[in-house]
Amino acid sequence: MGSLRSFFARLAGVFTGSRRDRELSDELEFHLQMHIDDNLRRGMSPEEARRQAVIDLGGVEQTKEIYRERRGLPMIETLLQDVRFGARMLARNLGFTVVAILTLALGIGATTAIFSVVYGVLLQPLPYCDSNRIMSVFELTSKAMRSRLADPNFNDFRDQSRSFQAIAKYGDNVVSVSGASQPTRTSVANVSPDFLKVFGIQPILGRDFTADDAKKGAGPTVLVSYGYWKQDLASSPDLSQAHLKIDGAIYSVIGVLPPGFHFPADVDLWLPADLDGENPSRTSHNYSAVGRLRDGVTVQQANGEISAIARRIHDTSSEQGDYLLKDAIVIPLQDSLTGKARSPLLVLLDAVGFLLLVACANVANLLLAQASVRERELAIRSALGAARGRLVRQFLTEAFLLSLVGGGLGVLGAFWGVAGIVALAPENLPRLDSVSISIPVLVFAFLLSTAVAVGLGAFTALRATSGDLRKALLEGGRGQAGAQGSQRVGQIIVAAQIAITLVLVVGAGLLGRSLMKVLEVNPGFRVDKIVAMDVSLPWVEDPKAKADQAIFFSNLIDRLKQIPGVRKVGAVSALPMDGGLPDGTFLLMSQNELPKTVDGFGLLRRQKERIGIADFCVATDEYFQVLGIPLIRGRIFDERDGPNSPHVAVISESLARDRWPNQDPIGHTIEFGNMDSDLRLLTIVGIVGDVHEDGLDLPPQPTVYVDLFQRPRSAITLTMLSDADTRSVTSAARGILQDLNPEIPAKFGTFSQIYSASLGSRRFNVILIGFFGIIALLLATAGVFGVMAYSVSRRTREIGVRVALGASSGSVLRMILGQGLRTIFLGIAIGIVGSLALTRTVESLLFGVTATDPLTFAGVTLLLVGTALLACYVPARRAMQVDPMVALRHE
Amino acid sequence: MTDKKDVWQGTLALMVLKTLQSMGPLHGYGIARRIEQTSGDLLSVNYGTLYPGLLKLEQEGYISSEWGLSDNNRKAKYYKLTRAGRKQLESEAREWEQTTEILARFLSPERES
Repeated sequence: MGSLRSFFARLAGVFTGSRRDRELSDELEFHLQMHIDDNLRRGMSPEEARRQAVIDLGGVEQTKEIYRERRGLPMIETLLQDVRFGARMLARNLGFTVVAILTLALGIGATTAIFSVVYGVLLQPLPYCDSNRIMSVFELTSKAMRSRLADPNFNDFRDQSRSFQAIAKYGDNVVSVSGASQPTRTSVANVSPDFLKVFGIQPILGRDFTADDAKKGAGPTVLVSYGYWKQDLASSPDLSQAHLKIDGAIYSVIGVLPPGFHFPADVDLWLPADLDGENPSRTSHNYSAVGRLRDGVTVQQANGEISAIARRIHDTSSEQGDYLLKDAIVIPLQDSLTGKARSPLLVLLDAVGFLLLVACANVANLLLAQASVRERELAIRSALGAARGRLVRQFLTEAFLLSLVGGGLGVLGAFWGVAGIVALAPENLPRLDSVSISIPVLVFAFLLSTAVAVGLGAFTALRATSGDLRKALLEGGRGQAGAQGSQRVGQIIVAAQIAITLVLVVGAGLLGRSLMKVLEVNPGFRVDKIVAMDVSLPWVEDPKAKADQAIFFSNLIDRLKQIPGVRKVGAVSALPMDGGLPDGTFLLMSQNELPKTVDGFGLLRRQKERIGIADFCVATDEYFQVLGIPLIRGRIFDERDGPNSPHVAVISESLARDRWPNQDPIGHTIEFGNMDSDLRLLTIVGIVGDVHEDGLDLPPQPTVYVDLFQRPRSAITLTMLSDADTRSVTSAARGILQDLNPEIPAKFGTFSQIYSASLGSRRFNVILIGFFGIIALLLATAGVFGVMAYSVSRRTREIGVRVALGASSGSVLRMILGQGLRTIFLGIAIGIVGSLALTRTVESLLFGVTATDPLTFAGVTLLLVGTALLACYVPARRAMQVDPMVALRHE
Repeated sequence: MTDKKDVWQGTLALMVLKTLQSMGPLHGYGIARRIEQTSGDLLSVNYGTLYPGLLKLEQEGYISSEWGLSDNNRKAKYYKLTRAGRKQLESEAREWEQTTEILARFLSPERES
């Protein structure tokens, strides 16, 4: 009690010092006067009375000092003293201080910026209640790949499992929506009724879906996002009159979701799934699934249960084959959303961590140089009685000042850094909107700065205060012995710096070479001068309605061809690199083998020699010309191929080679009806070049192309090859669509935009890691230069003596360069070993090069040796020019 | 060195508290004189410890101080015992008595067995 109270009293004393000092003076003055009075009373003369009193009282100043120590908290006071002194020292060496602070700011800022991305994307919990209880459920294919769920399989999971409080399936797509304001292409999700329960949310207005809303043939209902409600429904509190026309059908708006809820990403409208009935096939994988675990159920338990159900389905289902699930898996939703982003981001974090280490090494070297300059100061302080602990504290305090100021500046810089990273980041990086400098990121930056401070401070303090400081005094300030020790440490630091830089630059080099290799891949199509126009008509099933849509597209294409500058117009279900095509199993069969029943198809599907797997692409003949996909043999679609003539297909070269080895596929017939419910056989009439459909770094997909006018579909991308300005083509095309049907929205872009977005994530990594590599290289060069220059300046006398004794300038140069080279080669050797060990972590991000690519290693080593030698050469030249007369007078 | 000072300060604190209890509010000089007198001039109060000691007692809340005028009209700082100080005095006095009693038993030769 007493001690706590006295702590606060003393804490207060720290800040009321000067007043208390005056009071004590008054008190002691009074004490003295009383003493004099007493002495006078004893009969002393006034002079004698005062003299005696002063003698008795003793050292007033000492009393004051003891009093002061008692008054405040000496620890805090010495801290403040250290801070003041440290700040003064730093201010005196302004150049050193600015360089050290900026270097630390760079390291800490870059690390903070990257950490904020890692935190926002990977670590920050999803913004849902108990979000760690929300799981994703996937089927696993026979190749153990995750896949979406087939409707009957989902139903079995839902009905037979007990692990989930709620489980729901969802799919999303882009549709035309009108009725609110302008017709727009909007992202919608088709969800099963428990969808919101999984996320633990409820509509803020209106009601959630009920089981009845999801029944086949129920009146169409829709939930809208908060943003959509504000913007397109004018925040109307009365939903009873709110209707939206979605893909031609009228939906009643029944509820508004809370602000901030956007799952799946970018979706504004949620519709009940399967209003037209479910797909009874266990091999049509149409939906993703999410579930909320019941209390007390672990992920492993849920996983075990779902997996058991899946294997039961696999063993008992009548639909066997590659497309039937083999197993199933339950993983946390957060992991499934960020899974692909994880390893590139962690590589980035590693890279920036290396950069920070290189920056710290530079500052450590600066501090070390500073410390040896300050040897005399330390020696004097030590001689005057400063304990070693006190000196260590002084260094720690200075390191803290540097790191905290550097960290503060770094965080400021990180705000811009994060904005830059977000702008640069590939669109497919999930959760990019949650990346910001948040409180946890600030805490991280603070801890990081503290760690840097402790590391740097402890290192320099122990270096500087080890050994007998008084020797420094004896050496008359030349400090040769101590200096040589710290020189060696400096060289070790530089070697470490070179090693780390090498690892970083090798990483950047490997990624850069991968990007170059990817760009060298022949995509199989042209990219330039193509305007893409996404148009989706309401989804229809009736063959007559489908045929009408084909006629609509035909008219549209004819009109688009008349736009000045447009040379060719094609249409395709999806452009390469733009979301991908559906894939499935087709059957090789002839007309007279066509089974009469669905079961008959099942029987045929069990015959391995009859099936093949390919992407299914709907296109027009001019599409191949627009993209420049070459015809290898046979023909592409033409006037012969009307809706009522025999249906034809064109296949890609790799499919022809793999499915019909040593055979001519042209003339064969296949059945691919599971893709568009059209069982008419397709006759193969041509073979076209391969296309890298899913990305340049992935092998081309075997593809079956069918004719849009034989197999119509509602949503297509029109491709216009044009010499004219994109904007004028776009506005002309928009006008034509308006003219044909004002209710249909379109989305425009250029194919080169889509194409370059597909390289976005690779480019993002190369740019950032390359940037870190360059900075690290500059820092390491500065480090080499600093240590060498410092060494030369310390050895000026010695060099002078050598020259005076007849050393040639060549041998001086060799001596200095030799010293530098030893350091450099040590660093390079460690770096190469480190790189061989560490680049394995980036292996998954590489393309066309191995993690031990000799060319990259050799190139980077040469680059590093070259720059480091250059950094040595300047100080070495200075050493060469040392004038012995000047040098001997030096100091 | 610090050990000795602590013991000394411990006894000094007790003397100060006792003096203030018996004399009422008193300034630093008066406390010093009084302690010297009571000790029969065997003790000479070290001024360098008196004022820090008073400060410590004040920080611990056992005494309080205020500026006043002395008998001869000089500005002086007067210390007086607080309630907590009275309690502290009681418990410390008891402890001290116990300590001296124990030590006396050790030191008197006839009780040795």
